[in-house]
Amino acid sequence: MFTRISDIDRLFGTMNFLQKKLDNLYSDYGRSSGYRWELEQTFPRTNLYENGDSFEIRAEVPRLEKKDLNVKIQGNYLEISGTRESDAPEGYKTHKTERGIGSFSRSFTLPADVDSTKVEATLKDGVLYLILPKHEVAKPKKISIS
Amino acid sequence: MDKAQEIAKQDEKSIEKTRGVYEATPAVDIYENEDEILLQADMPGVVKKDISVDIDNGTLSISGVRKLETEGAATYEEFTNVEYVRSFSVPQAIDVEKVEAELKNGVLRLHLPKSEAAKPRQIEIKTA
Repeated sequence: MFTRISDIDRLFGTMNFLQKKLDNLYSDYGRSSGYRWELEQTFPRTNLYENGDSFEIRAEVPRLEKKDLNVKIQGNYLEISGTRESDAPEGYKTHKTERGIGSFSRSFTLPADVDSTKVEATLKDGVLYLILPKHEVAKPKKISIS
Repeated sequence: MDKAQEIAKQDEKSIEKTRGVYEATPAVDIYENEDEILLQADMPGVVKKDISVDIDNGTLSISGVRKLETEGAATYEEFTNVEYVRSFSVPQAIDVEKVEAELKNGVLRLHLPKSEAAKPRQIEIKTA
Protein backbone atom coordinates (compact mmCIF):
# COMPACT_ATOMS: atom_id res chain seq x y z
CA MET A 1 0.00 0.00 0.00
CA PHE A 2 2.69 2.47 1.01
CA THR A 3 5.27 2.12 -1.62
CA ARG A 4 7.13 5.31 -1.06
CA ILE A 5 8.34 6.92 2.13
CA SER A 6 6.69 10.19 1.07
CA ASP A 7 3.26 8.53 1.30
CA ILE A 8 3.85 7.69 4.93
CA ASP A 9 5.14 11.16 5.52
CA ARG A 10 2.01 12.63 4.04
CA LEU A 11 -0.16 10.39 6.19
CA PHE A 12 1.52 11.65 9.33
CA GLY A 13 1.19 15.18 8.08
CA THR A 14 -2.58 14.74 7.78
CA MET A 15 -2.78 13.23 11.24
CA ASN A 16 -0.90 16.17 12.71
CA PHE A 17 -3.23 18.56 10.94
CA LEU A 18 -6.32 16.86 12.36
CA GLN A 19 -4.77 16.76 15.81
CA LYS A 20 -4.17 20.49 15.68
CA LYS A 21 -7.74 21.15 14.54
CA LEU A 22 -9.08 19.17 17.47
CA ASP A 23 -6.83 20.96 19.93
CA ASN A 24 -8.02 24.32 18.66
CA LEU A 25 -11.61 23.23 18.97
CA TYR A 26 -11.24 22.89 22.71
CA SER A 27 -9.05 25.88 23.37
CA ASP A 28 -11.37 28.17 21.45
CA TYR A 29 -14.40 27.06 23.34
CA GLY A 30 -16.11 29.74 25.38
CA ARG A 31 -13.75 32.43 24.29
CA SER A 32 -15.28 35.78 23.69
CA SER A 33 -13.38 36.76 20.60
CA GLY A 34 -12.65 35.35 17.24
CA TYR A 35 -14.26 32.31 15.78
CA ARG A 36 -16.65 30.56 18.10
CA TRP A 37 -18.57 27.34 18.25
CA GLU A 38 -21.59 28.68 19.97
CA LEU A 39 -25.30 28.43 19.52
CA GLU A 40 -26.03 32.13 19.52
CA GLN A 41 -24.12 32.55 16.31
CA THR A 42 -26.61 30.54 14.33
CA PHE A 43 -29.98 30.65 16.02
CA PRO A 44 -31.45 32.53 18.95
CA ARG A 45 -31.59 31.08 22.42
CA THR A 46 -35.10 30.47 23.66
CA ASN A 47 -36.95 29.77 26.87
CA LEU A 48 -40.20 27.90 27.17
CA TYR A 49 -42.53 28.45 30.10
CA GLU A 50 -45.78 26.72 30.77
CA ASN A 51 -48.72 28.29 32.53
CA GLY A 52 -52.01 26.53 33.06
CA ASP A 53 -53.71 27.90 29.97
CA SER A 54 -50.81 28.95 27.82
CA PHE A 55 -47.21 28.56 26.85
CA GLU A 56 -44.74 31.36 26.69
CA ILE A 57 -41.75 31.33 24.42
CA ARG A 58 -39.03 33.91 24.73
CA ALA A 59 -36.21 34.28 22.26
CA GLU A 60 -33.14 36.47 22.25
CA VAL A 61 -33.25 38.41 19.03
CA PRO A 62 -31.13 41.54 19.45
CA ARG A 63 -31.11 44.03 16.58
CA LEU A 64 -34.02 42.36 14.78
CA GLU A 65 -37.03 44.43 13.80
CA LYS A 66 -40.59 43.26 13.42
CA LYS A 67 -40.17 42.86 9.69
CA ASP A 68 -37.13 40.60 10.08
CA LEU A 69 -39.04 37.94 12.01
CA ASN A 70 -41.48 35.24 10.97
CA VAL A 71 -43.50 33.06 13.28
CA LYS A 72 -45.42 30.06 11.96
CA ILE A 73 -47.77 27.90 14.00
CA GLN A 74 -49.62 24.75 13.12
CA GLY A 75 -51.12 22.59 15.85
CA ASN A 76 -48.22 22.04 18.23
CA TYR A 77 -45.56 22.93 15.69
CA LEU A 78 -43.92 26.31 15.97
CA GLU A 79 -41.33 27.80 13.72
CA ILE A 80 -39.41 31.00 14.31
CA SER A 81 -37.32 32.27 11.46
CA GLY A 82 -35.64 35.53 10.70
CA THR A 83 -32.84 37.38 9.07
CA ARG A 84 -30.12 39.23 10.87
CA GLU A 85 -29.08 41.99 8.58
CA SER A 86 -25.76 43.65 8.97
CA ASP A 87 -26.02 47.03 10.68
CA ALA A 88 -22.46 47.99 9.83
CA PRO A 89 -22.26 51.71 9.21
CA GLU A 90 -21.07 53.00 5.87
CA GLY A 91 -17.64 54.47 5.47
CA TYR A 92 -16.23 52.88 8.59
CA LYS A 93 -13.24 50.65 8.95
CA THR A 94 -13.99 47.38 10.73
CA HIS A 95 -12.01 46.39 13.80
CA LYS A 96 -14.10 43.57 15.15
CA THR A 97 -17.29 41.80 14.16
CA GLU A 98 -18.55 39.22 16.59
CA ARG A 99 -22.24 39.72 16.04
CA GLY A 100 -23.40 37.22 13.49
CA ILE A 101 -25.37 37.99 10.39
CA GLY A 102 -27.50 35.81 8.16
CA SER A 103 -30.75 33.97 8.47
CA PHE A 104 -31.85 31.41 10.98
CA SER A 105 -34.79 29.11 11.45
CA ARG A 106 -35.75 27.17 14.49
CA SER A 107 -38.69 24.88 15.00
CA PHE A 108 -40.26 23.51 18.14
CA THR A 109 -42.72 20.83 19.00
CA LEU A 110 -44.80 22.21 21.81
CA PRO A 111 -46.03 19.88 24.54
CA ALA A 112 -49.64 20.51 23.46
CA ASP A 113 -51.68 22.01 20.65
CA VAL A 114 -52.12 25.77 20.69
CA ASP A 115 -54.87 28.00 19.41
CA SER A 116 -53.06 29.73 16.58
CA THR A 117 -55.71 32.46 16.28
CA LYS A 118 -55.06 33.77 19.79
CA VAL A 119 -51.28 33.85 19.74
CA GLU A 120 -49.73 37.12 20.80
CA ALA A 121 -46.27 38.11 19.76
CA THR A 122 -44.37 41.12 21.07
CA LEU A 123 -40.89 42.34 20.45
CA LYS A 124 -39.29 44.36 23.20
CA ASP A 125 -35.67 45.32 23.85
CA GLY A 126 -34.37 42.62 21.57
CA VAL A 127 -36.43 39.83 23.09
CA LEU A 128 -39.33 38.16 21.31
CA TYR A 129 -42.21 37.18 23.57
CA LEU A 130 -44.77 34.71 22.28
CA ILE A 131 -47.86 33.94 24.31
CA LEU A 132 -49.45 30.77 22.97
CA PRO A 133 -52.82 29.90 24.50
CA LYS A 134 -53.46 26.19 24.61
CA HIS A 135 -56.17 24.66 22.52
CA GLU A 136 -59.41 24.00 24.42
CA VAL A 137 -58.76 20.26 24.47
CA ALA A 138 -55.35 20.69 26.03
CA LYS A 139 -56.42 23.09 28.78
CA PRO A 140 -56.45 21.84 32.33
CA LYS A 141 -59.93 21.01 33.61
CA LYS A 142 -61.30 21.13 37.04
CA ILE A 143 -63.30 18.10 37.94
CA SER A 144 -65.87 18.51 40.61
CA ILE A 145 -66.60 15.58 42.83
CA SER A 146 -70.24 14.73 42.97
CA MET B 1 -46.17 36.16 44.53
CA ASP B 2 -44.39 32.86 44.66
CA LYS B 3 -41.45 31.91 46.79
CA ALA B 4 -38.76 32.56 44.19
CA GLN B 5 -40.00 36.10 43.65
CA GLU B 6 -40.14 36.69 47.38
CA ILE B 7 -36.53 35.69 47.74
CA ALA B 8 -35.57 37.84 44.79
CA LYS B 9 -37.36 40.84 46.33
CA GLN B 10 -35.62 40.31 49.64
CA ASP B 11 -32.32 40.04 47.85
CA GLU B 12 -32.89 43.39 46.22
CA LYS B 13 -33.66 45.08 49.51
CA SER B 14 -30.67 43.80 51.43
CA ILE B 15 -27.75 46.17 51.80
CA GLU B 16 -25.07 43.66 51.07
CA LYS B 17 -25.44 41.92 47.76
CA THR B 18 -24.26 38.39 48.21
CA ARG B 19 -25.71 36.58 45.26
CA GLY B 20 -25.33 38.25 41.93
CA VAL B 21 -26.51 37.24 38.50
CA TYR B 22 -24.26 35.38 36.13
CA GLU B 23 -21.90 37.40 34.04
CA ALA B 24 -21.90 37.13 30.30
CA THR B 25 -19.81 38.65 27.58
CA PRO B 26 -21.84 40.48 24.97
CA ALA B 27 -20.93 40.08 21.32
CA VAL B 28 -19.44 43.32 20.09
CA ASP B 29 -18.71 45.00 16.76
CA ILE B 30 -16.21 47.83 16.58
CA TYR B 31 -15.92 50.24 13.69
CA GLU B 32 -13.85 53.33 13.15
CA ASN B 33 -13.87 56.27 10.80
CA GLU B 34 -12.07 59.58 10.76
CA ASP B 35 -14.34 61.16 13.35
CA GLU B 36 -15.21 58.44 15.78
CA ILE B 37 -15.03 54.89 17.00
CA LEU B 38 -18.37 53.11 16.99
CA LEU B 39 -19.08 50.20 19.26
CA GLN B 40 -22.17 48.00 18.99
CA ALA B 41 -22.98 45.41 21.62
CA ASP B 42 -25.83 42.89 21.70
CA MET B 43 -27.65 43.01 25.02
CA PRO B 44 -31.10 41.52 24.49
CA GLY B 45 -33.60 42.17 27.25
CA VAL B 46 -31.65 44.94 28.95
CA VAL B 47 -33.46 48.22 29.55
CA LYS B 48 -31.95 51.68 29.56
CA LYS B 49 -31.88 52.20 33.28
CA ASP B 50 -29.92 49.02 33.91
CA ILE B 51 -27.04 49.94 31.64
CA SER B 52 -23.95 51.72 32.79
CA VAL B 53 -21.08 52.95 30.69
CA ASP B 54 -17.93 54.16 32.43
CA ILE B 55 -14.75 55.54 31.06
CA ASP B 56 -12.02 55.78 33.60
CA ASN B 57 -8.28 55.92 33.21
CA GLY B 58 -8.32 54.74 29.62
CA THR B 59 -10.70 51.86 30.27
CA LEU B 60 -14.22 51.75 28.94
CA SER B 61 -16.47 49.42 30.86
CA ILE B 62 -19.97 48.56 29.83
CA SER B 63 -22.40 46.72 32.02
CA GLY B 64 -26.03 45.85 31.46
CA VAL B 65 -28.24 43.79 33.72
CA ARG B 66 -31.14 41.85 32.30
CA LYS B 67 -34.03 41.58 34.72
CA LEU B 68 -36.85 39.63 33.15
CA GLU B 69 -39.78 38.48 35.23
CA THR B 70 -40.92 34.98 34.55
CA GLU B 71 -44.26 33.35 35.01
CA GLY B 72 -45.14 29.71 35.10
CA ALA B 73 -42.93 26.67 35.13
CA ALA B 74 -39.91 26.63 32.90
CA THR B 75 -40.00 23.65 30.57
CA TYR B 76 -36.54 24.62 29.45
CA GLU B 77 -34.36 27.70 29.68
CA GLU B 78 -31.46 28.46 27.40
CA PHE B 79 -30.94 31.94 28.71
CA THR B 80 -31.52 33.53 32.05
CA ASN B 81 -31.03 36.88 33.71
CA VAL B 82 -27.44 37.88 33.29
CA GLU B 83 -25.16 40.83 33.66
CA TYR B 84 -23.46 41.67 30.41
CA VAL B 85 -20.01 42.94 31.26
CA ARG B 86 -17.10 43.86 29.09
CA SER B 87 -14.29 46.34 29.19
CA PHE B 88 -12.04 47.78 26.54
CA SER B 89 -9.03 50.02 26.62
CA VAL B 90 -9.68 53.22 24.75
CA PRO B 91 -6.99 55.30 23.11
CA GLN B 92 -6.09 58.64 24.65
CA ALA B 93 -7.45 60.35 21.60
CA ILE B 94 -11.09 59.85 22.60
CA ASP B 95 -13.01 62.90 23.68
CA VAL B 96 -14.58 61.50 26.84
CA GLU B 97 -16.92 64.46 27.26
CA LYS B 98 -18.67 63.83 23.99
CA VAL B 99 -19.29 60.10 24.18
CA GLU B 100 -22.86 59.23 23.23
CA ALA B 101 -24.78 56.04 23.92
CA GLU B 102 -28.05 54.78 22.50
CA LEU B 103 -30.03 51.64 23.07
CA LYS B 104 -32.38 50.17 20.49
CA ASN B 105 -33.80 46.66 20.09
CA GLY B 106 -31.37 45.28 22.63
CA VAL B 107 -28.34 46.75 20.92
CA LEU B 108 -26.15 49.25 22.74
CA ARG B 109 -24.48 51.70 20.39
CA LEU B 110 -21.62 53.81 21.66
CA HIS B 111 -20.21 56.71 19.70
CA LEU B 112 -16.72 57.58 20.86
CA PRO B 113 -15.68 60.76 19.06
CA LYS B 114 -12.01 61.42 18.50
CA SER B 115 -10.61 64.63 19.87
CA GLU B 116 -9.68 67.36 17.41
CA ALA B 117 -5.97 66.75 17.86
CA ALA B 118 -6.30 63.11 16.85
CA LYS B 119 -8.19 63.62 13.62
CA PRO B 120 -6.25 63.12 10.43
CA ARG B 121 -5.29 66.38 8.85
CA GLN B 122 -4.58 67.21 5.27
CA ILE B 123 -1.48 69.31 4.99
CA GLU B 124 -1.43 71.84 2.30
CA ILE B 125 1.75 72.34 0.39
CA LYS B 126 2.59 75.92 -0.20
CA THR B 127 4.34 76.94 -3.31
CA ALA B 128 7.27 79.17 -2.75
